[in-house]
Amino acid sequence: MAPRLEINGLSKFFPGVRALDDVSMSVEAGEIRALLGENGAGKSTLGKIVAGVYSRDQGTVLVDSAEIGTLDEKAAGDLGIGIVHQEGSLVPQLSVAENIFAGRQPTQWLGQVNVRAMREQAKALIAQLGVAIDPALKVSALSPAQAQIVEIAKALSRDLRILILDEPTAALTLTETEKLFDVVRRLAGNGVSVVYVSHRLAEIFSLCHSVTVLKDGRLAGTRRVAETSTDELIRLMVGRDVHFSRSAAGRRIGDIVLEAQDVEAPPLVRSASITVRAGEIVCLAGLIGSGRSEFCEAIFGARRRHGGSIRIGGTAIDPKGPWDGKHAGIGMVPEDRKAAGLFLGMDIVNNVAATVLSRVSSGANFSNRKAEALARNFVDELRIATPSVHQIVGNLSGGNQQKVLLAKWMAMEPRLLIVDEPTRGVDVGARSEIYRLLRALADKGVALLVVSSDLPEVLALADRIVVMAEGRTVGELRGDGASEEQVLRLATRYTASVAEVRKQPGMAEA
Amino acid sequence: MQITQPLAETAERRRENLFVRIVRRLADSRELTLFVLVVALALAMSIVYPNNFPTASNMRAVLLNLAPVGMLVCGMMLLMIGGTFDLSVGSTLAFSGVWAGVVAGWWGWPAEIAVLVGIMVGALCGLVNGLIVTRIGINALIATLGTLTIYRSLTYVTAGTGVTPITDAFAEYGRAADPLFRIQSPFWAMLVLVLIGGWLVARTRFFRQFYFIGGNPRAAQLSGIRVDRLILIGFVIMGALAGLAGVLGAARLNSAVVNAGVGIELKVITATVLGGASLKGGEGTILGGILGVLFIALIENAMIINAIGVFWQGLVVGLVLLFAVSLDRFKTSGRA
Repeated sequence: MAPRLEINGLSKFFPGVRALDDVSMSVEAGEIRALLGENGAGKSTLGKIVAGVYSRDQGTVLVDSAEIGTLDEKAAGDLGIGIVHQEGSLVPQLSVAENIFAGRQPTQWLGQVNVRAMREQAKALIAQLGVAIDPALKVSALSPAQAQIVEIAKALSRDLRILILDEPTAALTLTETEKLFDVVRRLAGNGVSVVYVSHRLAEIFSLCHSVTVLKDGRLAGTRRVAETSTDELIRLMVGRDVHFSRSAAGRRIGDIVLEAQDVEAPPLVRSASITVRAGEIVCLAGLIGSGRSEFCEAIFGARRRHGGSIRIGGTAIDPKGPWDGKHAGIGMVPEDRKAAGLFLGMDIVNNVAATVLSRVSSGANFSNRKAEALARNFVDELRIATPSVHQIVGNLSGGNQQKVLLAKWMAMEPRLLIVDEPTRGVDVGARSEIYRLLRALADKGVALLVVSSDLPEVLALADRIVVMAEGRTVGELRGDGASEEQVLRLATRYTASVAEVRKQPGMAEA
Repeated sequence: MQITQPLAETAERRRENLFVRIVRRLADSRELTLFVLVVALALAMSIVYPNNFPTASNMRAVLLNLAPVGMLVCGMMLLMIGGTFDLSVGSTLAFSGVWAGVVAGWWGWPAEIAVLVGIMVGALCGLVNGLIVTRIGINALIATLGTLTIYRSLTYVTAGTGVTPITDAFAEYGRAADPLFRIQSPFWAMLVLVLIGGWLVARTRFFRQFYFIGGNPRAAQLSGIRVDRLILIGFVIMGALAGLAGVLGAARLNSAVVNAGVGIELKVITATVLGGASLKGGEGTILGGILGVLFIALIENAMIINAIGVFWQGLVVGLVLLFAVSLDRFKTSGRA
């Protein structure tokens, strides 16, 4: 029998990135196929292309042996391809039934929506999934798991042949996950092909028949789940050819600057501990959603902490807001440079001055002269490519913006600098410069805590690697000699098997 | 790379004709645009109406009439730089004026106390606005739309039809004039506020923080700026200014009118936007705001002299506002 879905030589380019490179795979009817890969490996992109969310740049897609030309969301829907998005695509203010039949509500006299018929049909669809949800309820009243079921029912409302699930369990508790799995198995039993995008190994072993691994946008291999092992899958996920060289400089590691213990900031940080010494670069590794950024925010004061202790230079602090963290000598370069880091409409001078308003003032007066001098120093020191310090930051390239953001925090001369994703959206050239800058900062005795999803980056930068999983710090590795495999093994340890995780005390229900 | 871009830009600009260059130059600084417009308008009116416009009494009337809006613009500009605004200023103004009237006129307390009470009532109204916006997290439009009607209603509840007359001692606060120009105190109060406010907002690091908040509130928060606290302070300043305007207005008339300041919020916001503020925040100066007030005042004056009824004023002011804001499209220094 011909495969339900066949993909040949699929490629997709985003500005500056090759998100998918010549990927081929085929899925049988009734098969549950996992798409596995690290953050940024291209698995979500592949799912979205099949569902018509993104267009493809090269390659062919065949559904039941028929080649598909342009594939947009409507065409995909007509073909019976449904997708359940990571972030969800339901309108919270509308009812379950209205969401399921969005734009295709059954009508009666004069085009009025036949509410009763719509609810009946919605109820029947949801019942097919073996669950009961009142179709008159508003989506905002549903749990994340119920919302996901409704998304599946929405896909099911048309003759469903292929269902793509994009990291559906990210927001679900374990029992909810089990329930979702039952639904997926039932669908597959009815002949629907399921593409299950995930980076959680445990889920793949308990749910899927087969697994396709992507690595940096390329196909790394396809295996039958029964014939593979966690070790093999991890090996397929890592082992890239790009490696940034580690610095050989023998840095002097000093006293403990940050000592955080058992920090709790629900729901994402459950119990995290870390120490960082002066002159040391500690990388916080882990999967997306493991609570790394949130842990850092709790240290800095940008997130409410419910338990645990934080000491800076031996003194306990209890930051109520970023100003308290700053006062204690902590700087934090946030992950989202445009939304949370920079003042894009303002010039470099003002951006750099934002954290050090008192230092660039004489008495109560803001001194443009001092601020300009400070900005000019940083433009020279960090080699920011700009015609002048009065350039609007929004007009700079990504790498230069990132340098301005670093300058903003270097200006306050922090004892501890937290850098969340130092090179996201930055090209390779600027990357190595940013690594050089971070190392130079550490050489000056600053304690650095770097969050990164990029394993080669972690291995290139870190003196020590602390790994987080499910809101907990689960292990620590020495920077030199650590391998991507070791890091990934720690990062996925907590999800090694759903059943196993359940036995962990305190892990049951959030 | 980025560096090559300005070179290309200059070459391109050389080809543009003189007119476009002038427009660009003007558009780069709203203050300059407005200043040129105000001077041109004043000159034109002096030439066209030599007997009506450039007279001492007309000048006095124009400057006195723009005083309340001028005071309010200082606070509104600060709020709008911080990315928010206050619609309740007209009601706050009336509520404060009425309380000052009640304290001096009905209770017979000294005029100084009445003035202070009026300003405090205004500040309190601002505090409530600020708390609703920052603590409860209600959008400023909705929050101050709500308090606009609440404060107005409280004004009626407090004083029914108003307090008239108040007392002569109290009236002196709004009527005292300087010996040289013989302009009454509300104008001088406004002038002092504009000068001090202009300096504070342009130069001090404390008020500089409002530009960061308006530019990107999340980044400001993560830069260690206490966003909520500053916005709260901005609302209190706005309320106190409305209180002062209300007290001086009541004193000048020796009458606390319950309908004082109806619709003034839109006039104030018009002048503020005309003066260079953006609804997104992060932009504007007090100088620009006051030039906006001056410009609107001149247009109104021209229409009064011309005897083109008040019905047309709104049309002209509206057109000028749209024109000024559309000048932003010619800006050279803005984001690409």
